[in-house]
Amino acid sequence: MTSRNILKPSPIPSLSVGIGLGDKWGDKIMRKSDIVVIGSGLAGLVAASTAAGQGKKVTLLAQGAGTLTIAGGIIDILGCLGDGSPANNPIAAIPRLAQEHPYRKIGVETVEEAINYFLKICQEEGYPQIGSCNQIQWIPTAAGTLKPTCIVPRTMDISSLEKTTNRIIVGFKYLKDFYPRLIAQNLAAMPGYGGNYEIVTITPPFGGRDLSNLDIARWLETDEGLKEFAVQLSQKVKRGSLLIMPPVLGTSPDYRILNWLKKNLECYLLETVTIPPAITGLRLRSLLINHVKKLGVKVIEQAVVTGSVIENGRCLAVVTESADRQRSYYAKSFILATGGIYGGGLIANSDQVIEPIFNLPVKTPLERDNWTNQTLFSNREQPFAKIGIAVDQRMRPIDETGTTILSNVCIAGRTLAGYDYCFEKSGNGVAVSSGYKAAMSV
Amino acid sequence: MEKASVVVIGGGVTGIGILRDLCMRGVDALLIEQRDLAHGTSSRFHGLLHSGGRYAVKDAEAAKECIEENSILRRIGKHCVEATEGFFVRTVDDDAQFERKWVAACHKVGIPAAEVSPSEALRLEPNLSSRIKAIYRVPDAAIDGFRLVWQNAASAQKYGGRIKTYCEVLGIEHSNGKISGVKIRNVLTGETENIECDSIVSAAGSWAGKIAALAGINVHVQPDRGTLVAFNHRITSRVINRLRPAGDGDIFVPHGSITILGTTSSPAEQPDDTVPSTEEVLKMLDIGEALFDDLKDYRILRAFTGTRPLYSADPNATGRGASRNFVILDHSNDGLSGFFSIVGGKLTTFRLMAEKMTDAVCKYLKINAACRTALEPLIEDPPPELITKARSYFPAYGTNLAASRLGTSGLERVVKRMQDHPETRQLLCECENVTIAEMIEAASDSFTYSLSDVRRKTRIGMGTCQSAFCTYRSVGEASELGFAQDSTTLFKEILEERWKGIRPVLWGNAIREAELMRGIYGGSLNIQ
Repeated sequence: MTSRNILKPSPIPSLSVGIGLGDKWGDKIMRKSDIVVIGSGLAGLVAASTAAGQGKKVTLLAQGAGTLTIAGGIIDILGCLGDGSPANNPIAAIPRLAQEHPYRKIGVETVEEAINYFLKICQEEGYPQIGSCNQIQWIPTAAGTLKPTCIVPRTMDISSLEKTTNRIIVGFKYLKDFYPRLIAQNLAAMPGYGGNYEIVTITPPFGGRDLSNLDIARWLETDEGLKEFAVQLSQKVKRGSLLIMPPVLGTSPDYRILNWLKKNLECYLLETVTIPPAITGLRLRSLLINHVKKLGVKVIEQAVVTGSVIENGRCLAVVTESADRQRSYYAKSFILATGGIYGGGLIANSDQVIEPIFNLPVKTPLERDNWTNQTLFSNREQPFAKIGIAVDQRMRPIDETGTTILSNVCIAGRTLAGYDYCFEKSGNGVAVSSGYKAAMSV
Repeated sequence: MEKASVVVIGGGVTGIGILRDLCMRGVDALLIEQRDLAHGTSSRFHGLLHSGGRYAVKDAEAAKECIEENSILRRIGKHCVEATEGFFVRTVDDDAQFERKWVAACHKVGIPAAEVSPSEALRLEPNLSSRIKAIYRVPDAAIDGFRLVWQNAASAQKYGGRIKTYCEVLGIEHSNGKISGVKIRNVLTGETENIECDSIVSAAGSWAGKIAALAGINVHVQPDRGTLVAFNHRITSRVINRLRPAGDGDIFVPHGSITILGTTSSPAEQPDDTVPSTEEVLKMLDIGEALFDDLKDYRILRAFTGTRPLYSADPNATGRGASRNFVILDHSNDGLSGFFSIVGGKLTTFRLMAEKMTDAVCKYLKINAACRTALEPLIEDPPPELITKARSYFPAYGTNLAASRLGTSGLERVVKRMQDHPETRQLLCECENVTIAEMIEAASDSFTYSLSDVRRKTRIGMGTCQSAFCTYRSVGEASELGFAQDSTTLFKEILEERWKGIRPVLWGNAIREAELMRGIYGGSLNIQ
């Protein structure tokens, strides 16, 4: 019966036992990195890329796609300050932000460096972007509103607005989540966007069911689809028109479809910001995943990090858990980029907010009644949106007295305290610059 | 000048029930509602069609009315009722003495209450706490307050009933001690209008005191706040009542894919004091844990508050101390003939209340006609051929939902639209299975003045996503349909209403959903 005993599953080891097992199986060596990045949203990917670019051995523990497909693949840096006053030059406005704001911890120069680094990666990967951190661009949304952002792909190039007054909203029959009339009505009243908008509807050769932007984007990725689309468009639009459309110009981070259509239709194209799924976010995610893999980052998918091994104010390892086993990932430093309350990096219960991996203190308004403003659109920050982990100037977690808690852990992205990204339009900007700063700090 | 024999004030279930009854007896009647139908308490309760068990010990008469009306409503309003049955559950902490009293009281009133063993109860309702001690099955059911009001309205209109929504009452006109008319103001246009009538029935619920005051008459209605919590799960398949003297947080009612827990009880300052608080929600969760151990782990969708119109001849009685029975006040006793108020009561007995009220009005008008409201269904069943045809365009589950929402003629028009215009088959709201075709139908309804009216009629945005996705779609579709309001106003109208319900439950997945909603509308679409 000896063989039976060998097959008998061993009990799940506790955290401290986990180290022993790692030694025994030789996994400890295999799973030892310079840096472990937890989270594969925009902050985690930029952190992994930055660290790998510095010659570090990086492991990226990925659980999901982060919020890139929600927020979209554009980089908002700062649209307005806490009092609602506009920030036409985001970089110049950063010193006017509250001391607790992540940008103040990151520092103006580093924000600029980080954004330039991001632009460089996109350039290298053949998906160059438009914009800088010194200038707001007002880009159209699927609600026909404008939103302030900074860095956009070429499919969202608004400079073409000045080149033609012949503006057309391109809709698709059966397509969900794109309403040409709503966009036309509202855009016509927007500064810089005034004028008449004609509506053109394309009929895809499939349908009878709900279609999403993703369905249309995949259709345009086929040669027949692209040609059919161009044929229908050329019958309805004049050369030199500006075509405002949902983000359907392919799912991959390149301009193949954009360039082909520009050349063959001799028109300008402009994709809008939409509700999820944001195709532009999918493109950016696939670009960054490709990029970090090229740099030798080891990407572990489906890694659910459930705890950490801490000794004398340092993290030795983080522990992942799946149905049948625990694994420990060792590193000299760790970057926590697991997202905020939406992403799951912070968990809000009715009595407290917790950070489940390191059990870090979460900065939270004291009274529940003070968590929210009475109205959703209150023209000021929602206090609960600023819940997060407070950090020092090197992005390491601090307690309420300002003392650094873990010397080799840095925080990046939405897990950080002190900013309401929805209100001030800073989400992806904080993600990129804090990811970069964290990787430079560890 | 517009005329009616009787003007009914209040478009809740009581008023609309009275309108239906009057019209079925051949009386020319007009109903005035200050907002949309079912805007008040009729849509802000737990949606429980009582078996009467809850009142059996304290108020045998109310309990008897409940069990009788319960069986009538199952018959005439089957498209509003989900026949779930209910459990009365005593936990180890509850008084066994009360259980004996309760069983005897149910028996006396005629409420069938069959005992079930704890192990059988746990087999049927596995989420119940293992601390349950004694369980009884009763014929409780779930009822949809919105639908009940609309289907009563549809029936009343069939008999010539007229309805004016978004009209508030400015004055009660009378001469020589008799009612002669009512002055109203359309709250959307600001226009005022006088309506000539012989009799006025105030069925204004929590607002009844204010209406009576317009005629200089004192009616003491104390609005009493009741806050409820909607969970994103069918925690239970049956209505679960705690077997103890009626208190807070001891009723769970399943509705479709959600469960409603209710309620609290505290005096309200105003009839529309309907903003729920975190404190009320947490208090109910603490109590509710006695029946469902993991209650605090379930995702909450939203909280909401209604006000009960508690009437008392004694101005000092409040809360659960006040009677839940209804009272008909004939204000000829106050020197004004032809003016009546109906106060108190509960949704389960609305039809009976309407019958008694209509009897009194008919007597005053010297009309001799018998009540027929218990005999005829509110709406006819859609024919099977139509359901089969609808199935080619709807998901199977959606077909039955839409058929119950729309009734035969509405469903016919929606199916025709889907047949002729395939693009209108698109689902605007996946959670509640609402298509563009149905939104167009609701938007063209004669009582629809706003996107919120459409939302209430279709249930767009009431499900799991809590409007995160379908707000954009319904605003987009509204612009296609040519709604007058600008889109920012429409976005805010829907999202602020949701916010009111999410704010007091901002933890767990509700706060995540709130972040998603803000991310989409604040972050991406920059609605301000």
